[in-house]
Amino acid sequence: MPKTRKVILLLYVVMIMFPFFYLFLLSLSAEWKFPDLSPNYFGLKNWEQIFSSQSGLGVSFITSLFISFFVALTTTSLGFYVSRYISYHPRRHTMSMLAYFPYVIAPVVFGACMIYFFLKMGLFGTLYGVILAQSFVAFPYALIFFTSFWGEKIQNYEQLVATLGGNVLQGFMKVTLPLAKGMLMICFFQTFLISWFEYGLTSVIGVGKVETLTIKVFLFIKESNFYFGALSCCLLILPPLVLIYFNKRYVFNKIL
Amino acid sequence: MRLLYIATLALLFYGCKDQKAYTSSTDPLTLEWSEILAQASGTEVSFMMWQGSPDLNKYINEYIKPSLKQEYGIDLKIVGGQGSEIVQLLMGEKQANASDSQVDMVWINGETFFQLKSIDGLWGPFLDKLPNSKLIDLSNKFISVDFQQPINGMEAPWSITQFALVHDSIDTPNPPTTLAELASYVEQNPGYFTISNDFSGMTLLKSFLAELSGSPNGLDGTFDEAKYSDLSQKLWSWINQNKKYFWKKGETFPTENTKLNQMYANGEIKISYGFGEGGIDDKIAQGLIPKSTKAYPWRNGTIKNSNYLGIVSNSSNKIGAMVVINYLLSPDAQFRKADVSGVNANNVLSYDLLTSEDKAKYDQLPKRLYGPTIEELKDHAIQEPDSRYMIKLYEDFRKYVIEK
Amino acid sequence: MKILESMLSKNNQNHISLGLFFVLAILPVAAAFSYAVLYSFGVVGIANEGFTLRFWKDVLSKGEFIQSFGYSAAISAVSMVISIGLALYLTVIFHKDFKNRILSFIAYLPLSLPGVVAAFFGVQVLSKSGFFSRISYNLGWTKDLSGFPDLINDQFALGIIFTFVSIVSPFFLLLFLSIFENEKIDELRKLANSLGANRRQSIWKVEIPILLHKSKKLISLYFIFLMGAYEIPLILGREAPQMLSVLIVRDLKQYDLTLISEGYVIAVIYSIVIGLLTYLIFSRQK
Repeated sequence: MPKTRKVILLLYVVMIMFPFFYLFLLSLSAEWKFPDLSPNYFGLKNWEQIFSSQSGLGVSFITSLFISFFVALTTTSLGFYVSRYISYHPRRHTMSMLAYFPYVIAPVVFGACMIYFFLKMGLFGTLYGVILAQSFVAFPYALIFFTSFWGEKIQNYEQLVATLGGNVLQGFMKVTLPLAKGMLMICFFQTFLISWFEYGLTSVIGVGKVETLTIKVFLFIKESNFYFGALSCCLLILPPLVLIYFNKRYVFNKIL
Repeated sequence: MRLLYIATLALLFYGCKDQKAYTSSTDPLTLEWSEILAQASGTEVSFMMWQGSPDLNKYINEYIKPSLKQEYGIDLKIVGGQGSEIVQLLMGEKQANASDSQVDMVWINGETFFQLKSIDGLWGPFLDKLPNSKLIDLSNKFISVDFQQPINGMEAPWSITQFALVHDSIDTPNPPTTLAELASYVEQNPGYFTISNDFSGMTLLKSFLAELSGSPNGLDGTFDEAKYSDLSQKLWSWINQNKKYFWKKGETFPTENTKLNQMYANGEIKISYGFGEGGIDDKIAQGLIPKSTKAYPWRNGTIKNSNYLGIVSNSSNKIGAMVVINYLLSPDAQFRKADVSGVNANNVLSYDLLTSEDKAKYDQLPKRLYGPTIEELKDHAIQEPDSRYMIKLYEDFRKYVIEK
Repeated sequence: MKILESMLSKNNQNHISLGLFFVLAILPVAAAFSYAVLYSFGVVGIANEGFTLRFWKDVLSKGEFIQSFGYSAAISAVSMVISIGLALYLTVIFHKDFKNRILSFIAYLPLSLPGVVAAFFGVQVLSKSGFFSRISYNLGWTKDLSGFPDLINDQFALGIIFTFVSIVSPFFLLLFLSIFENEKIDELRKLANSLGANRRQSIWKVEIPILLHKSKKLISLYFIFLMGAYEIPLILGREAPQMLSVLIVRDLKQYDLTLISEGYVIAVIYSIVIGLLTYLIFSRQK
């Protein structure tokens, strides 16, 4: 029995690790055609292209980082703030449900229906337009996420602070915030990922002018340039991997 | 923590750096070319083009962009999009009364030109203002007429090209040149032919339609609904009868030109096709397809057309766009584009109108070793039919073939 | 300080919060939905001429939309069943092993893979010229490219399902593992055993029901997500039938400008259905 267990677990590990290895391998290759099992070229020439202006990969990476960081920062903080109000509201059940809609709708369809408004606001095809559009999806998520935080326990703490003579700000900085630290990190991570992985919405609102890494991957797929596609995939996976490594205990959360 | 804060602020400013294009109320057509060059310097031009050709992308990114920056001080930004995407973008902007467009110049032809004109999306006529336009022979009907519409200076020709089919002369020594031959070919070699659901597939269908009409000129003239109806029904029934011998039994069709090229390179399909007279020299040079590959025309003829560059009517940098287009028409840029191992696209300049220096440069360009030249396919050239044929083909291909 | 205090007064804060909630969460969806509705009736839009029921009639009578809906729902359901099955299996049988540091880290890795990358990877290994095909060729199982079966762009959506499962099951594995810990299912198992239940009974009658019950809401949500997926079916799907989001975007970008409203009709129907499903999920919760 233990032997089959080991085999199954090994299979599981192999299946998980295989995509990562294969994509990394592909990014280091060139001229790899059917039916060869190994590429004709294997080396760093693709990776060297990251910093060259022609592939635009370096710029895309930084653009994506900026966008996702911005989206994560604003939606996490605003979501944290607004969710408090919602959680204590008598109509909180309805409000939470309403907050689900923008999160559940396919972002690309949502974006396509919003183009007109972005045009009117002059944000169509701009970096900040993409950030705003992604926030419309990430903010509801943050709202939903934090509703499980605000509850009787926190209210009791807040009242305790007030009774002891502390003002609202002190209560917030010294009590609430530290208690929420873990959840804030998780939410930051999750909203970062929502933005980082987004393609459909970005391509619709950014018109291809805002070139995030996901847009680049699609471009390479269209051009059938699989080596650069794999390269951009590697770049795409890198920040999430790093975040997971450092925040493993914080990464996973249940939105129950 | 403080470092993070500073970094965020820095990046915020970086994002705000969105260069504003040059705006002015003077009509560019009244300015001298030297003034145009001066005012365009330091501006940004957005160019919406089809990004499906890696060689062309390389040509634009590695040669055109740096040259424009160096010689004219212009920052060229590429935005991906073609055909209906361009039309919808400009229409959406008009609908929302956007003050200036996301794109300044567009790569278009045919039905896109038709639709853009009908929504007043193009600015012009500007072609005569460009110094390099004098090198173009506008008496050539394949250049001055775009899908049966005279261009009237509203768009600038960029490349001229003919559609051709591609086969491996060793593997498929007698490729089909008529519908009857194609029918027996696919029956004997099932799974090796398909119709791509994009502009190259539709262009192939136009050759088929012309054959069904009985002559190379069968589709000339304005759009004839009755004629289209009759011919297309015959076409769809031919396809539906034979599609079980197509790639994937005709149950699905590829959507990208590059996919088709790839499948040919893999041996997944044995008959391919495309503009650029088949476009085989560059692929052979890159080692993607065997040297025995040859390109050939359909017996009743294949489409020959030009593609063009237009300037958007509510662009805020028409001057910059004019400079870019003029540069793309220059002998140097055109010759570079004709590189047989690269873009492999014909230039639109008339040989006789070139300076003797440029004539010499042209003569020294390496010639194609494998594919036919556009001259050689001259006798099989068909004029592009009215753009409404193309629009209807797209729709009906989906309706009568894909969804059957 | 007093000014700050009054600024931060309960009342002001409530107003600000309500305002933000409205502007960032309610307004965008409401605006987008209204625009789509208006467009679907021809009231706004490029090449539209005014209120008409024509687009609604056309879409509802054409089979394409219903087919796409059924297709999307079926693919989503099959993918969910397989994913949850896999995740349940691994959790119930191997939960002890996942306490191991390395294994548990590996379990988190797939979270770093977005849909685009998974789809790209799918093409690389499953296509006719892909990795598996090459292995099969070199092992002599297939004679050439065309001998390899159609695993992507095929009518059974095998490629799409495979990719969905590879993205969704890791998430559910982690979810189930965490529920397992929190609900102390281990203890319950021991309890069941001591009451005379054997291993099989314990798994099927105790553990799995609890795991499923606790994650009901997330399961329904993921079902909705998969139905509206875009990137994966875009790369791995066929021309017809297409999954909902791909169909909608295609319709919205089509050549014939007068038919764009049909895309909005489908978008409106899709939104209403999703809205209803979400409402159902929520009303059950109480």
